[in-house]
Amino acid sequence: MRKDIRLSGRASSLTLLCLAALFINGCEGPGPDDGRPSDTILLPTDTLLNLACEKVGINDEQCVLEDPENPFVFTPISEFNNTTGDEGNKFDLFNSIPAGPTGAKARFYFWATALARRQSGENQFYTALALHELWDLNSDPVIQEQALKAYRSVLDNFFGSVTVFTCCEDVRPPDDPRGPVPFPVGLNELTADNLFRTNATGFRRLVEGDPILVLELLLEWGYNYRPANPPNFDDGLVFVITG
Amino acid sequence: MNKNAVAMGDSGLFERIVKLGSVLLVAAALWAPADGWAQANMVTTVKDDQGWRLQVDGEDYYIKGIVWGYSPRGQNYTYNLWGESDDFIRKVLDYDMGLLKKAGINTIRTFSMVPPEWVTYIYREHGIMSVVNPLMGRYGYNVGGKWVPFTDYSDPLTRETLIRDMRAIVEQYKDTPGVLMFAFGNESNYGLSWSSFEIENLPEGEQNTAKARYLYSLWNEVILAGKEVAPDHLFTIVNGDIQYIDLIAELVTAQDLLGSNAYRGPGFTDLWARVDELLDLPVVFFEFGSDAFNARSFQEDQVSQALILKDQWQEMYNKSWGNGEEGNSIGAFIFEWRDEWWKYLQIDNLDVQDTNASWSNQAYLFDWAPGKNNMNEEWFGIAALGPRNSEGVYEARPRMAYDVISEVFAMDPYTASKEDINLMFSAMDVDIYALQGEVRQLKAENSERKKMLQLTSGNIYAEFAFLGTEESIRTDGKEGTDFSDGQMIFVDFAFNPMERIEGQFSLNILGNVARKNPLMFSYMDRGLPTIIDAQPAVPPDTPPDQVPPVTILEDTNRIEIYDFNTKYQGENLDVEAFYHTPRFHWGYEGDFFNLVQEATDIIGIDVWNGKAPQGIEFAGKGKYDGLKLVAGSEIFWGANPQWTFKYDFNFGKTALTFIHQEEVSRLGEGANATAPTNRVASKTTLFADMNITQNVKFEIGGIISSRERLDDVYDFVDDQGNIRTDQIEFEDMLGLKARITFPIFGQDTYFSAHSAGLVGDGGNPIPTFGVTDPTRLPYNGLGNKNEFEAGMRMYLGKWLIYPRVMYRDNLIDANPLIEPFINPDGTLNQGTSPRNRDEDPFAVLGNREARSGEVYFTWDPTGATPFYDWDNEWREDAPFAFNIGGTYTEFPTATDSNLFFLPIAGGNVPFGQGLPAEDVWSVTSRVVFNVGRSRYIVNLARGFDQSTGDPEGGTRKFFDVSGKAFLGGKHLVSGYFKKDSWGPYDFQRQFNSTFPEQYQLEYAYLLNGFGSIRSVVDEVFATQIGFRVIVRTLDENSGPLLVLSDTSTELSDYDFLALFFASYRF
Repeated sequence: MRKDIRLSGRASSLTLLCLAALFINGCEGPGPDDGRPSDTILLPTDTLLNLACEKVGINDEQCVLEDPENPFVFTPISEFNNTTGDEGNKFDLFNSIPAGPTGAKARFYFWATALARRQSGENQFYTALALHELWDLNSDPVIQEQALKAYRSVLDNFFGSVTVFTCCEDVRPPDDPRGPVPFPVGLNELTADNLFRTNATGFRRLVEGDPILVLELLLEWGYNYRPANPPNFDDGLVFVITG
Repeated sequence: MNKNAVAMGDSGLFERIVKLGSVLLVAAALWAPADGWAQANMVTTVKDDQGWRLQVDGEDYYIKGIVWGYSPRGQNYTYNLWGESDDFIRKVLDYDMGLLKKAGINTIRTFSMVPPEWVTYIYREHGIMSVVNPLMGRYGYNVGGKWVPFTDYSDPLTRETLIRDMRAIVEQYKDTPGVLMFAFGNESNYGLSWSSFEIENLPEGEQNTAKARYLYSLWNEVILAGKEVAPDHLFTIVNGDIQYIDLIAELVTAQDLLGSNAYRGPGFTDLWARVDELLDLPVVFFEFGSDAFNARSFQEDQVSQALILKDQWQEMYNKSWGNGEEGNSIGAFIFEWRDEWWKYLQIDNLDVQDTNASWSNQAYLFDWAPGKNNMNEEWFGIAALGPRNSEGVYEARPRMAYDVISEVFAMDPYTASKEDINLMFSAMDVDIYALQGEVRQLKAENSERKKMLQLTSGNIYAEFAFLGTEESIRTDGKEGTDFSDGQMIFVDFAFNPMERIEGQFSLNILGNVARKNPLMFSYMDRGLPTIIDAQPAVPPDTPPDQVPPVTILEDTNRIEIYDFNTKYQGENLDVEAFYHTPRFHWGYEGDFFNLVQEATDIIGIDVWNGKAPQGIEFAGKGKYDGLKLVAGSEIFWGANPQWTFKYDFNFGKTALTFIHQEEVSRLGEGANATAPTNRVASKTTLFADMNITQNVKFEIGGIISSRERLDDVYDFVDDQGNIRTDQIEFEDMLGLKARITFPIFGQDTYFSAHSAGLVGDGGNPIPTFGVTDPTRLPYNGLGNKNEFEAGMRMYLGKWLIYPRVMYRDNLIDANPLIEPFINPDGTLNQGTSPRNRDEDPFAVLGNREARSGEVYFTWDPTGATPFYDWDNEWREDAPFAFNIGGTYTEFPTATDSNLFFLPIAGGNVPFGQGLPAEDVWSVTSRVVFNVGRSRYIVNLARGFDQSTGDPEGGTRKFFDVSGKAFLGGKHLVSGYFKKDSWGPYDFQRQFNSTFPEQYQLEYAYLLNGFGSIRSVVDEVFATQIGFRVIVRTLDENSGPLLVLSDTSTELSDYDFLALFFASYRF
């Protein structure tokens, strides 16, 4: 049984009339004055990075999407699609960011945005690398700490992930319709190598001092690293310390 | 004489004739039925100066009757005993009639029409006669091919139809031995609910009388028609009490006695005198009695029921022939024989005896209280409904009333003096009967442990699966197939620890788990081994014995609570906790935007081992009537954790409903394996429902939705192709929806409009004609639209036609893909891409622009089993019924990107591109034949339609044919053939996985017969043995699937599954 609330017939009619008027008016799409043009955005060229939150650039943190300084908030960054085989535009866009110090901050925002949208080892690794580059440029200890957190996240959250490089123009020339030869590289190896060898990145080591300190840090994180050997430095191995 | 005979006996021919004649005579004598059993009985009423007597075949007959029916636990009014095997019917009748006979009951009245052969069986085998009592449109009737829920007795076609049909029934039964009389209706004077212009114009006080005149005049015409066919039988009506007795006297002059349902408490007061004075007819109560549940003490009350019945029979005996009073009582039918557990909610809680009182009657003082209901519909039996016995018949457990009437019926009121009668009643030792009743009750409770916990039913299921692919066989021969077995047990319990708390739960126990995917998924392979950690990286040259093993759990979730439901019934509040038990939407309770959706497809949820719905509901009553609150982690399949509050109230003559739904977090997993989860979005609605005139209804509702999206930024492409950005504002959260329903040429017609801002989202709409609506229009609950719809439901004789059109525009279209790029000067052109509902505040998906039209034609000569009812498959009784129709939809624009849930990522992933602009269509037909005890159902579908997620693979024409045959009540054969169709699971359409050809054939032998099946759950869990074979061919569009391990499609031309199963329900 419903409770009764009394209202005069005139008030009822008025209410109905208002509703009808509202309804006839309906909802409208955007007019010519709605919104604002989506302007071109000047990518940041400085190297001073203010962290939007404590875990920005670390797996499953999304605050970079709220960062007003992030130029890529509304930029579609399309990933490789397993179901369609579509390669996406991610690396095309990344490669067009200006090289050198003027593009370092943009590179961080790019990868951190990609990571916030798709939690993958590849996005985490390149975010770490971008932070590494920024620290190399600005020596900010906060960024140094953040870069280490990001590298560690690769090992902790995406240990088995790979990134795919292409190679071997001698085997498949550029006009081969099959494209270049892809080969996957384990991100755990790349992470440890980036931390261990200056030449791996071209940047200063995040763990300053003797490289043995890198191995100690990795041990502290729960990993054993057998460094890669010259000349190709492609045989490094990372073990999870069990038990 | 002897001489002649001897002489004639010399003749060989004559001798042979005599011998043959003798044999025939003996045989005829043996086979001939006993006198009185061979033909219809002669039933009359006789009046002399001492009153009225009923006589059967010349003998006095006082009706010691009962309203009899057989309603098993878990079934409702749709259960049809007469559809069971003859063997089972006989078991039920022998069990029940044996008990009735033992108590001295000599006549039954039933609400279902007992087939003539069983009327005769009951009479011949048990000596119990039957009243043939067609309800004559009391609860709706099929008139001119259209099911009319409120029979209009003034309508000429209705009157003609009822007279014709009642006459046919009399014709059918008039020569049937065991028929005591014909009675029509059931307190039909309480059902004068139809409306008509002519009557509504009368002053209010005269309206019902005007309607009643039509009813009583029709009753008389029906009786006259019956008497034309069967002049030697008695005819009467079943009136509600003696309401309109003046009209009865005036208009129902042809009846032979007055039939009445009387609930006046222990006595009948002035009824005898008034009938004697105004009608001068004998009286038979077709219903009277008392329930056996005390609504005040909230417990079973056998004593009160028995004492009321004792007083009532004492009064009737005193009012019978020869006792110096009115002398017009010739018997009565107690309501009723055995409790019926479906009567309170009718389709809910069928396994539990409900203790809700549904109406109030002050005449039953033992449990009446002001403002409270005291009549418990599920407790009127003089026997309780027990469990099944060894023959599968639900037991009747006599109450104290059974013992009392046994003693009463031992006396013949015609031969006993008034003094003897009253001496018998006063000397009756009711204390002994009360003790007997208590002992019987205690025994029953002890055997069922009813007060604490009882095992109610269960199911044991075993299967053997034989799985393979063309590639595996080609490569490995016989070893390329996989053979596995599975076992599963369900055990159902009910509990009733306190008077106001009751409930049920089921345990599910797994043995082995058969491997059936990717052709079949069940319980998401619960119980199969699970890898719980990934293999650590090791150097490539690590010896195998040094590779750390992965951790595999072998015995996961072997036992679990399958479902659970409990209810507390308080004075002003009912509380119900539910876990994986069916729940209905609130669409008929003012939820115009369907915020609380239905969760009845438990079998579908089980495919993914889902546990929805889960939550707790508080429903106010009494002083809190109109309030409702439901809260839970997943109150319907796919719902975010939330609480939803509803308040119903009236505003003048307008019924209003306020709903607020507050989602508190996001669901952790998709509703099925790949259905995306939704961002938190709270909603508030206000709905008004008003009848403008008797036949014109206006509904209007407003919504404020997704306030969490306020200020969210989105981009769109304007008319000039420029990308612009904007923010969600308050007006984008609003929605307004209205519908007006009115008759055009007597046909149900409606027009609706729905305008919603960008995030003015509601739930998935319920079609206008509810569950009986065949529509395939592209309904969607999301906002960002202006939508208009018009349609009709046309009854043309036995044809039913649904024409309908829909027009929908979006406020903002889907985004195309415009690639971003970075200029050499370091500036970023952001580009845009199809939106998705995780990263953008809204997306154009199923709410896309559409221009759609459809028409469905239905031929259904039996409107009482509506063709589109959810359970029509198991109930349709027309010899031939079918439908055919089609829907054509133009989608002029593309969609944004759909999402899917990726379990390994623990979140949604967009497909990255939308569905293209395209025209789609489908034509479908369903045909049902009933031939004897067999039913055949064929479904056909031809169409051209899109995926619901991934556009890759394009849109293809498909063709499906499926069928099901219930043969002879015992055999179930079903199967399908699909060409270029999606697989049978939702995710296969979501991923656009199609198969060139799919075949399925299934056979099951139903050991308990088809009659025990009334739903898909019954069908799945029926006691049966059978097999199923599925074969499908594969091509590049068949997979592989990203999230489900369907890797067989890469190398194989086909895969298959053969399944042998056995199921036992107890």
